[in-house]
Amino acid sequence: MNLQATIFDVFTYALLSYAVLLLTIYILIGFFSIAETRAYVRKNSFTDYRVLASSPEAPSVSILAPAFNEGATIIDNVRSLLSLNYINLEVIVINDGSTDDTLAKLISAYDLYELDFFVNPQIITQQVKVVYKSHNPVYKKLIVVDKYKGGKADSLNVGINISKNDYLVSIDVDCVLEQDALLKLCKPFLEQTAKRVIATGGVLRIVNSCDIEGGRLVKINLPEEFLPRVQTLEYIRAFLLSRMAWTRLNGLLLISGAFGAFDKDIVISCGGYNNETVGEDMELVVRMRRYMEEKKEPYKVAFIPDPLCWTEAPATYKNLGRQRNRWTRGTIETLYTHRKMFFNPKYHVLGMVSYPYWLFFEYLAPIIETIGFLAFLLFCFIGVVTWSCFFIMMSIFSVGVLYSIFAILMEVLTYNQYKQKKDVLRLLLVAMAEPIFFHPFVVASAIKGNFDILRKRKSWGEMTRRGFTHLRKTKNKYGN
Amino acid sequence: MTSSQLFVLASLVVSLHTLGLIILIFTNMILLILAFMLFFMLWKGTHEKNYDRYRLISGLLIRRAVFYDDQIDPETGIPGTKKAKRLMINKIFRKLFTEELISAKKNIAGMAAENLKYLYHQLKLESFALKKLNRRRWHTKAKAIQELTLMDMRELKDDLFVYTNNKNEYVRMEAQVAVVQFNGFEGLRFLDSITYAISEWQQIKLLHKLSNLPPVHIDISGWLKSSNTSVVVFALKLARNYHGFEMHDVILTCLDHANPQVRLQAIHCLGEIYNDQTSIHLISRFWREDLRHQLAIIRALQNIGSEKDNIFLSTLLGNDDYDLKLNAARALASSGLKGLALLVEYNDSDLVLNDIITQVKGELAA
Repeated sequence: MNLQATIFDVFTYALLSYAVLLLTIYILIGFFSIAETRAYVRKNSFTDYRVLASSPEAPSVSILAPAFNEGATIIDNVRSLLSLNYINLEVIVINDGSTDDTLAKLISAYDLYELDFFVNPQIITQQVKVVYKSHNPVYKKLIVVDKYKGGKADSLNVGINISKNDYLVSIDVDCVLEQDALLKLCKPFLEQTAKRVIATGGVLRIVNSCDIEGGRLVKINLPEEFLPRVQTLEYIRAFLLSRMAWTRLNGLLLISGAFGAFDKDIVISCGGYNNETVGEDMELVVRMRRYMEEKKEPYKVAFIPDPLCWTEAPATYKNLGRQRNRWTRGTIETLYTHRKMFFNPKYHVLGMVSYPYWLFFEYLAPIIETIGFLAFLLFCFIGVVTWSCFFIMMSIFSVGVLYSIFAILMEVLTYNQYKQKKDVLRLLLVAMAEPIFFHPFVVASAIKGNFDILRKRKSWGEMTRRGFTHLRKTKNKYGN
Repeated sequence: MTSSQLFVLASLVVSLHTLGLIILIFTNMILLILAFMLFFMLWKGTHEKNYDRYRLISGLLIRRAVFYDDQIDPETGIPGTKKAKRLMINKIFRKLFTEELISAKKNIAGMAAENLKYLYHQLKLESFALKKLNRRRWHTKAKAIQELTLMDMRELKDDLFVYTNNKNEYVRMEAQVAVVQFNGFEGLRFLDSITYAISEWQQIKLLHKLSNLPPVHIDISGWLKSSNTSVVVFALKLARNYHGFEMHDVILTCLDHANPQVRLQAIHCLGEIYNDQTSIHLISRFWREDLRHQLAIIRALQNIGSEKDNIFLSTLLGNDDYDLKLNAARALASSGLKGLALLVEYNDSDLVLNDIITQVKGELAA
């Protein structure tokens, strides 16, 4: 055997092993997800959330909602937060140096006045300019903070410094929450006995094309545009399969920054959100877990499969690319910051399973995929690969589609948000189209994220929000 | 799943024969799942029609019972249920009817609720629930207990009591709720023997159940000595909610409990149940506690403190922790005119403290 053939064999077998391992992991995720979802649904059938909604014993919660140039939607969004069904609640909106009329609109709509307020600097942040409260007792839960621009993590840290409650719920202010979202999100904290619940995450769904009135979701529709629709499938797969499976293993590393609840004591002990990363949501969860592991205290990160939070998905390739680029950079920064845990038995599941999984199958996957693709082109060029590859392509294509179809099946069997048969069929079509029209772009964005981090690019990547008014218009345009 | 990635990787190595096999397997799997989904949706569609019919019958039966305002004859019961009895053999109908009945019972009180209970009994649905109680699966057992509780089958209360210390969390939670519903405060005797922790969620459920009952004198002294710390915490909540002032001295002993959760709950409790010596006891333990408990003590003093605590609170104004400073300032402000005057006249070069005092003054003015 000559050297060229040996290199070819080593290379291809290494890649094949990777693919087989990945396939095995996805099959295991499927099984774990079924077990965890079934257990949750059964347990949840015994829960009467009305008891918690009216109980003075409900844990006290501070919602932290950072806002930067959200003037288009801020009034509706805050109204939506204030109308949530929860008794011990304060809503802290942090205006992160907006250059539009976000603050002016809030002051006017909610009759705000300046408050003498001492901000306890438990976490170092940008300076707070003014803290506002409302003259109107109807809005007594609302606190608005105006601060100098410091980014999302900095705004959340300001919110932590100002909050007076035991649990923190971070949300993207443009999200629409279900009325009982907080009740469901907070229940795991009440169920803890042997293990301390340090954080809880909820499922995000795509709000594009849904009907919103007064900041409330009134009708669920499958997005009309291709990109939001394909992200609907992607979110179903990520939340119903992957996160549920990791919850089963108590190995969940990511709670979306768009909607998650945290034990405030632990967050403060860990130093709050990291301002040095664009993946502050994942980094915080990893740091909290690491803190508990190092303290040797039993703990748990819970996850709720009920659809609780509806968010606007990027509808253009430009915005989508920025988002995925940022996610990649966030992952790299988090993994690098906590590299000490890599295959470190001291960190148990976190160090031995979750961290290596994220490194090899979340971060490295697009890179390996790209290398594999380039190698494939090269091998085609030098004539190593034959026409039979077409058949292989079909089989591998079917693996991806199979996983997506399984996710749709799980959705239909559990929460079934898209009740019309035609919607299920549309999702099935999207599952077929995704590997061709969506996935390559996501991989390319991830690769760009890798280059950007090498160039030390730190920007967040602005995403233009179109607001709920637009969402309604989109829906009307299609006449549904 | 990243399909194109797998495609690239595997294409390099797999032989044509293996390929054929892979294609066959995955295509079959896709077809299988698609067929299952199609079958499921068709099945669902067909069953929806049956369900609609069952729902209609259930609704009629329930409405008849709800609006039946004559005295029920024990011989004949609520009329027009003969056909329903036959339908009860059908497992799907029985399940749906029971769910509808429970749902109606939850939202109805008085005579109508009694009629629904009678209907449940008349259709012998409790015998099915009792059968479920003997099943192995925890959720079936727990559902049966929930059903019997909601349908107010209090004659079964002794049968259900044995489940209050069941190894499954959900079975024992439902059984505990059942015995409290059937026996009122007397039902809390399960606290004497329970060996498992009672979660905060379960405590909320139990307090909610008890809140519907007229308050009675409860002797919690035994529970305060329980080796199960969650029982002690729950007993302290009971004492606080039911203003057990006579328990004050026993509650004070919990301030020295080894478990921090118990000590914290005792501090909260003493913020509601107090006498003129309570603040002295709390202050005497202040420096032994961690920050969380110290804050709880100061917050309790905001409620129960008096001018005699001013010296202690004033010393905290110079503490390094800003939360302690802020809460001490609040406690001083609420301790009486002297405390307030002390705060207003407080003059210090400490800028943080000045900001805190400005905030507290603002809160008082609001």
